[in-house]
Amino acid sequence: MSLPGGTEAMVTQRGFWRDLRSMLLFSGKRLLALFLTVLVGVYLTIYIANMGGQVDELRMVQIRSDVAEAVRADPAFMDMPAAERNALIEERVQLDVERLRLDQPFILRSFDYLRQAITLNLGRAEQMHSDAGSRQVYDIIVERLPATLLLFGTANLLVFITSVMIALALSRRYGSMVDRSVIALAPSSAAPAWFYGIFLILIFAFLVPVLPAGGMVQVPPPEGSLAYAGSVLRHMLLPVVAMYLSSIFISIYSWRTFFLIHSSEDYVEMARVKGLPDNLIQRRYILRPTLSPIITNFALMLIGLWSGAIILEQVFNWPGLGTLLFEAIGHRDTPVIIGSVVIFAYLLAITVFLLDILYAVLDPRVRMESIK
Amino acid sequence: MKTLLWLGSAAAVVVLAVLLQPGPGGPEQQAVPVDDAALSERRGALVDEIVFTQETDPGKVTGMIETGSHHVFAQGVTSVTVFNRIRDSQYAAHDISYGFSVELTLNPAGPHLDDGSLNPFHSPRVREALNWLVDRRYIAEELYGGLAVPRYLALNTAFPDYARLADVARALELRYQHDPDRARGVIAEEMERFGAERRGSRWFHDGRPVRVNVLIRTEDVRQRVGDYIASEMEDLGFLVERRYRTAAEASRLWLAGDPGTGQWHIYTGGWIATTINRDLAENFSFYYTSRGRPEPLWQAYDPDPEFDEIAERLQRRDYQSWDERQQMMARALELAMEDSARVWLVDQLSVAPRARDVELAVDLAGGIAGSRLWPYTLRFRDKVGGRVVFALPSVLTEPWNPVAGTNWVNDLLIMRSLNDPPLLPDPFTGLFWPQRIDRAELTVQEDVPVERTHDWLRVDTEPEIAVPEEAWIGWDSTEGRFLIVGEEHPEGLTARTRTRVYYKDNYMDRRWHDGSRVSLADMVLPWILDFERADEDSRLYDPSHAPNFQVFRRHFRGWNIISEDPLVVDIYSDQIFPDAETIVAQRTPSMLPWHTLALGIRAEWAGELAFSSHRADRNRVDWMSLVAGPSLGTLDRHLEYAVEHGFLPFPGMVADYLGEEDEIGERYQALKRWREERGHFWVGDGAFYLHSVHPVERTVVLRRSEYFQDSSDKWLRFTRPAIAELELDGPVVVERGDGVEFSLRITSEGEPYPPDSLDSVRYLLFDGTGAMVRSGEVEPVDGEEWRIRMDAEELEQLGTGANSLEVAVTSSRVALPSFASHVFATVPRRQTTTTEGDQ
Repeated sequence: MSLPGGTEAMVTQRGFWRDLRSMLLFSGKRLLALFLTVLVGVYLTIYIANMGGQVDELRMVQIRSDVAEAVRADPAFMDMPAAERNALIEERVQLDVERLRLDQPFILRSFDYLRQAITLNLGRAEQMHSDAGSRQVYDIIVERLPATLLLFGTANLLVFITSVMIALALSRRYGSMVDRSVIALAPSSAAPAWFYGIFLILIFAFLVPVLPAGGMVQVPPPEGSLAYAGSVLRHMLLPVVAMYLSSIFISIYSWRTFFLIHSSEDYVEMARVKGLPDNLIQRRYILRPTLSPIITNFALMLIGLWSGAIILEQVFNWPGLGTLLFEAIGHRDTPVIIGSVVIFAYLLAITVFLLDILYAVLDPRVRMESIK
Repeated sequence: MKTLLWLGSAAAVVVLAVLLQPGPGGPEQQAVPVDDAALSERRGALVDEIVFTQETDPGKVTGMIETGSHHVFAQGVTSVTVFNRIRDSQYAAHDISYGFSVELTLNPAGPHLDDGSLNPFHSPRVREALNWLVDRRYIAEELYGGLAVPRYLALNTAFPDYARLADVARALELRYQHDPDRARGVIAEEMERFGAERRGSRWFHDGRPVRVNVLIRTEDVRQRVGDYIASEMEDLGFLVERRYRTAAEASRLWLAGDPGTGQWHIYTGGWIATTINRDLAENFSFYYTSRGRPEPLWQAYDPDPEFDEIAERLQRRDYQSWDERQQMMARALELAMEDSARVWLVDQLSVAPRARDVELAVDLAGGIAGSRLWPYTLRFRDKVGGRVVFALPSVLTEPWNPVAGTNWVNDLLIMRSLNDPPLLPDPFTGLFWPQRIDRAELTVQEDVPVERTHDWLRVDTEPEIAVPEEAWIGWDSTEGRFLIVGEEHPEGLTARTRTRVYYKDNYMDRRWHDGSRVSLADMVLPWILDFERADEDSRLYDPSHAPNFQVFRRHFRGWNIISEDPLVVDIYSDQIFPDAETIVAQRTPSMLPWHTLALGIRAEWAGELAFSSHRADRNRVDWMSLVAGPSLGTLDRHLEYAVEHGFLPFPGMVADYLGEEDEIGERYQALKRWREERGHFWVGDGAFYLHSVHPVERTVVLRRSEYFQDSSDKWLRFTRPAIAELELDGPVVVERGDGVEFSLRITSEGEPYPPDSLDSVRYLLFDGTGAMVRSGEVEPVDGEEWRIRMDAEELEQLGTGANSLEVAVTSSRVALPSFASHVFATVPRRQTTTTEGDQ
């Protein structure tokens, strides 16, 4: 029995609105939850980065000490009576105290930091500058972004693509020589990339000096853009290889195990029994059902680029965001620390939200669960 | 198969990248050999290009030098491991500087702290005894692996005051040499006086063990020094707590905290000096009295009244003659050791690594970063031309502008090669030499003790120095004109010094790097700017400049351009330094290109940029950078305006000092071309010009300036410090009743040390108890040979036993004194009985 055309349309329309309402409600709840997570996360960062306000005391001591030594080292003040010199020091200390708003209670400043961070008004750094000399936190971060994306993007993409490809192939050759070799090599990833970096520098920069020991480009930088690109490529090689070596085997091992589980599902066995070609089985019966975790992994890898890698960048003298964050912590430059964290927090929240939606698009089961 | 193809492609990229080594471009990299005749013909810098790049890891130093990718590391290396690698490398060499000193800061509060516990270091005798307790030689040689020299006194061992007082210093060093038994005895006496008692191996006071908290810095070798001291204190019977802290954590306790709370008793302190300080007279006030700093620790100092008075007088330079000063210094040194609020341990050596075939002048205190002469002396040995690559721990740390830009040492190091100051300090003595001035005359009031060393200046005295009415002393920002002494001080004005500077005849014929000719406006505008920035009514007012300017105003008594061709300037001031050369250097005006300053002034007037960091933050604008960043766009707009309208700041005053007819137009056109070619606004007059700036790559490229026409070998004599090497020899056993002669050889790098460069060659004779029984001048013989002769009567004062002969040599070429010692025994005369049979 079928419903009249108009009624059927109405039912379909009602279903659409119901689904839409459910989706909006779901999205709203998720967004609110994510926003609160970001809010709490950023405030905790502000609080911890300032040790609940105790950093103010450290900064006061540091300012006083720096000013006192600067005045003492300046021959122009050498013959000043002690009382006058101390008054001068005090005057200069006060200028810095006002500049850094250290005369205000930390708790007030912390909410001000939070307000600016949440509205993505990154503001001015307190101590640091961009390499080009700007004090805007936005400029400081954006200046380092290309170098980070280039290095970590290349390495992570290489690791991701090759590991998925090799893992897929290995999942079909379970127990083979190559498979056993990968399992044996997986613990090599316990060593971080910088550890491999040191050895690579020692071998390829000093023992057999064919590659540079560090930096992003040769000194002085080549004037032509092709030569410049070539130089950057040469300088990227060692850090990329270091990152690749430190991640590839564990990554292949994880994906291979993951694919192995899915390869032994009944529907895959059925496809094999039906005599479908291997490529088709891989694409349609293994990769497609596992697309959600692959995409999740890929998306998290992409936003993971934001944080850079402090020690690796130090070892290879690479001007990335990791070094920037390290310097910001060293300078106790709260706006830069918050700037880096809040952008990461927002990126993570957006990615999680988009993944939720993507899951629903990719997997009808998730969609139904969400709606329920 | 696909995987294989993919891997093959990746391998091809790798191979391609290895093979693809882009050519660097720029001038010919290879330096060419040159003989002395050709060298004396050459003008300007000795190398063609310098590249500065950032490298933060000292561990890579030797490898980079060996592969030839870098030539000079400006960062001082203090790691013994790295130093050993440098020393073992056949491609690397190094220079040494002495700018960091390590000491034990002692807590003087007490005798009882807030919790009622006893603080043994309240007692000056306990503090003094620590000098005997610590083995400075062990610290220097074992803990610092030879990268330190023992230090006992409040004077840096590489600075001129130490050399001037070398004999006094040596005597004190022997008096306080390592003697743990004596230390133990004195400390035990004092502890008992405080009512403490020894139970077993521990000291107790009021029934509680006497506790000593050692605050140990963890970032460097001071951690090991702290452990060593802590162990020594434990051995003495104290209950020791080791508190390991970083600089920031420790400063909350020792610097900001109240010493009375007893959070710490001993702190492993360190002090840095970036240039040779020729006058350490205020060290006593700073380190030992409450006048040093306002922090609680200094307020707890309670020195002996005699010491306090001498320290205060030395700080005020309250002495009538140099001899009186030296006597006061000698006494202060002695009293400082008795006070020992600080126990000095070592002067740490810092190593500046470089390629073996590269030479440059390195400052004895500040290393390469502290050297002003490095740009004039940098070269490949016996060659000219080529490219030198410097590694710095940071490059372009803060924005560059010549008014109130970055003051980071690494930025200043680069800037020093771009500008050419009128005087340059000697890297080995700190005394100034003329670079752009011909001579100077310094007139001081009769009661002002000033020493002159060099003959490029003349010093005379007058009972009263009147400042002429027409001298400029102030600035009226409303009317835009200088205020003269006549209107500011109608009753007349006097000054303690007048410095008359005669610039070189060709001083006004020079050109800036952009090709424009210098003019007097380049000297006048920076003065105006200085006054404007301190004037609350000015649009350029900068609160951060005001405190320093007020200090300057307190001693500034006016200046006057006496003649424009040749340029002669008089400067009047009440500020005194012990060295006449330093007074001239401090007073001599230098130049900055007025046309780049003008753009900055316009940008600051418009509220778009600020010269100083403080004003930039206050106005929420960018801190002005003439070399990179968002400032450049702003300055471009102001340059366009200036080109179009012929902008001249403060025209009522500056216009009178322009040189060529269309100087304004020519200057801006030159700057516009410069900006288009070089991409920045930094125009200087130094031996090198700023060729290109690469902020993200952290690289700065300088090239040799064709406009710089000084002889290339002008400063080469300052490439190596002429440190005197001594060989003291003589008999090891002397019979009483005999005379004795000791020989001394004084050389430098194998050559006899020129006698006219030796300030003093003195000997000190100590008997077996360590008491000095005699001192005097060593007698020159011939060339490098010197001798010390003592007759039987003089030797008789020693008695019988082991004696020590010490020689201290000071030179006018280097602040570092040299010492040699010889130990010999005086024994009773053998009674020889002659018999026929024996014969």
